[in-house]
Amino acid sequence: MKKELILDKNNLSYWLRQIRKKRELIGPLMNGGNDIVFKSVDKIHELVLDCPASLPSPKEFIFPQYEPMLRIRQASNVKYQEITDLSEKTRRVIFGVRSCDISALGLLDRFYLKGHKDSYYAERRRNTLFISIVCKDPDPTCFCIGLGTGPYLEKGFDIQITDLGDRYFVQIGSPEGAKTVKAMSFLFRRPQKTDYEDQYEVFLSSKARFHKRINLKGIRQMILEEKVKDDFWQWVADRCFECGGCVYNCPLCTCFTVTDRAYSEGTERIRLWDACMFKGFTRMAGGILPNEMMVKRTKRWYYHKLIHYPETLGGFGCVGCGRCTITCPGKIDMASIATKLKGLAISEEEK
Amino acid sequence: MKNNLKNNKTNANIYIPLNGKIEEITQLTGDVRLFKIKTETPIDYVPGQFFMLSVWGAGEVPISVASLPEKNGTIELCIRKTGIVTSAIHSLKTGQSIGLRGPYGNGFPIDISKGRDVILVAGGIGIAPLRPLIQQFIKNHRKAGKVTLLYGSRTPDEIIFRDEVEEWEESGIAVALTVDKGNDNWKGNVGLVTGLWPEVRTDFKEAVAYICGPDVMIKAAMRDLFFLGMPDERIITTLEAHMKCGVGKCGHCYIGPQYICTDGPVFSYKEIKEQSILK
Ligand SMILES: Cc1cc2nc3c(=O)[nH]c(=O)nc-3n(C[C@H](O)[C@H](O)[C@H](O)COP(=O)(O)OP(=O)(O)OC[C@H]3O[C@@H](n4cnc5c(N)ncnc54)[C@H](O)[C@@H]3O)c2cc1C
Ligand code: SF4
Ligand code: SF4
Ligand code: FES
Repeated sequence: MKKELILDKNNLSYWLRQIRKKRELIGPLMNGGNDIVFKSVDKIHELVLDCPASLPSPKEFIFPQYEPMLRIRQASNVKYQEITDLSEKTRRVIFGVRSCDISALGLLDRFYLKGHKDSYYAERRRNTLFISIVCKDPDPTCFCIGLGTGPYLEKGFDIQITDLGDRYFVQIGSPEGAKTVKAMSFLFRRPQKTDYEDQYEVFLSSKARFHKRINLKGIRQMILEEKVKDDFWQWVADRCFECGGCVYNCPLCTCFTVTDRAYSEGTERIRLWDACMFKGFTRMAGGILPNEMMVKRTKRWYYHKLIHYPETLGGFGCVGCGRCTITCPGKIDMASIATKLKGLAISEEEK
Repeated sequence: MKNNLKNNKTNANIYIPLNGKIEEITQLTGDVRLFKIKTETPIDYVPGQFFMLSVWGAGEVPISVASLPEKNGTIELCIRKTGIVTSAIHSLKTGQSIGLRGPYGNGFPIDISKGRDVILVAGGIGIAPLRPLIQQFIKNHRKAGKVTLLYGSRTPDEIIFRDEVEEWEESGIAVALTVDKGNDNWKGNVGLVTGLWPEVRTDFKEAVAYICGPDVMIKAAMRDLFFLGMPDERIITTLEAHMKCGVGKCGHCYIGPQYICTDGPVFSYKEIKEQSILK
């Protein structure tokens, strides 16, 4: 089957309705305020596709904020307790995801599936199909362009669509994506020369619309060369409110905590998002390297994303989605820090 | 998926604990107990590794193995009561079940001690992870050279494995004990474990050290051994960190580029110096 196809816009909702027969449909919807959230879609016409970034990122469908893990019931006449694995197995399609969030998935896969395989992530991942959309008009906070993680993707997606006005340019990037298209192949037609040209046009105009040009490689280099001193990190730490907004909204933050809760017949073990910016994160009964000082915690977040992520997972722990810029009350988000450090480097050179 | 762990040998979900049965509990000191746990099938592990122990409703904690693997599938774990989960473990009785996942972590490097003298430095509960190492040296006494154990406790009553220490001595291990605070019956050393270096009849430059205890003790011991001429790569220690998963995912034990749970918990002084970007 062709990897590139055209879908008439009028056929989109029919296509989605067909997919929804087999999978739960998730997409960007406007909530009560003006925020965009990914939710289960009831009315397909309510999907908002030309929208700012969702908060939080769609990672919540593969690594949710609250995830039941196990249920333990003590059967009275049984020697061993009965344990139920609560792994979520719902088949889902997530429609309208941005390129940066798909790029983040690639790294999340490497993180959760390498070494000891995280079973909960693996189950959800396997059952979720992503239909991503090329960003025509990036938000002022976006900076994926400097990282190669957006506004469109060359690979790593299941299905990628580009809005060409009255039709979508559809690209298939995975076997699961191919299956989903093939099942309704009558809806699609082969692209013409003009379709390719129009798609290229969208790519070009999108690239020209970025406000932010951020070079994380340069910042990484500065840190490695020890040009960023501790008083800078102190300044950063002093501005952090410890709200955790950056971590919760970031498509690449992966930390969690585990806790047991009672339910009527026994105990449920659940996991919840946790944030390394929080004080008690490394708390323990007298350990050797507690990161209890705020300066260490903020520094650790940046080191993890800029230094260690590339070394262990092959890419920055940031895809330039701009969510931390939207959310951080202290203005010490990734983009602001990078800009600030670049400024410092320039003034240093001028001295 | 229902999962009656009795039959669950292939553990697909890494977060599901295996069921262990408590066979024996020994009160070692006021707040330390030794739990002998039997698993359905024997689990293989090496000294320095740890298990995540579960008490349903309380939670999970990392505990180092305190014994060598047994053919009959028993594991000994030496646990000090300090908080919620460890108290819940202490309230369990013989015959009750306990969940365990593991073994996790890298374990002590043993090859580097081949043909070399060994110095073991323990502080308090830190003796527990070193116990299987000592048992191993006794079993294969020809592999390593002279083995010396320096062991510090707060008081004479808090010396864990006191009877065994005597047996170890009889098996040829040189032992020096010290306490922070003695009592009327105590005739031995008083003071820090790092005050015991003169007791060691070994060429420090050629020896290997395995250290386990509170962080202040670890730091002091590593630094002293470095100044006594021991190369960094032969100064070995095991670190503690807050742990929620034990498998490199939850992020709690992440210190700079390393996850204590999967890259450690055993590290050489060399690694500690080179890799802890965040000092
Ligand atoms: C690799 C490793 C091996 C260990 N081996 C042993 C051992 O053999 N014997 C022994 O008695 N203790 C050992 N500990 C320490 C033991 O794990 C803690 O005493 C225990 O987690 C405290 O839990 P709690 O719920 O009783 O205490 P609380 O203070 O109520 O702690 C609540 C939670 O905080 C975390 N936490 C608190 N302190 C620590 C700590 N020191 N290390 C890790 N997590 C902590 C745990 O997640 C715990 O569930 C080891 C720790 C590590 C990291
Ligand atoms: S660090 Fe900020 S900009 Fe980068 S991916 Fe995370 S939330 Fe987005
Ligand atoms: S969003 Fe900003 S203020 Fe809040 S925890 Fe993150 S860095 Fe700190
Ligand atoms: S304990 Fe979870 S990452 Fe190490």
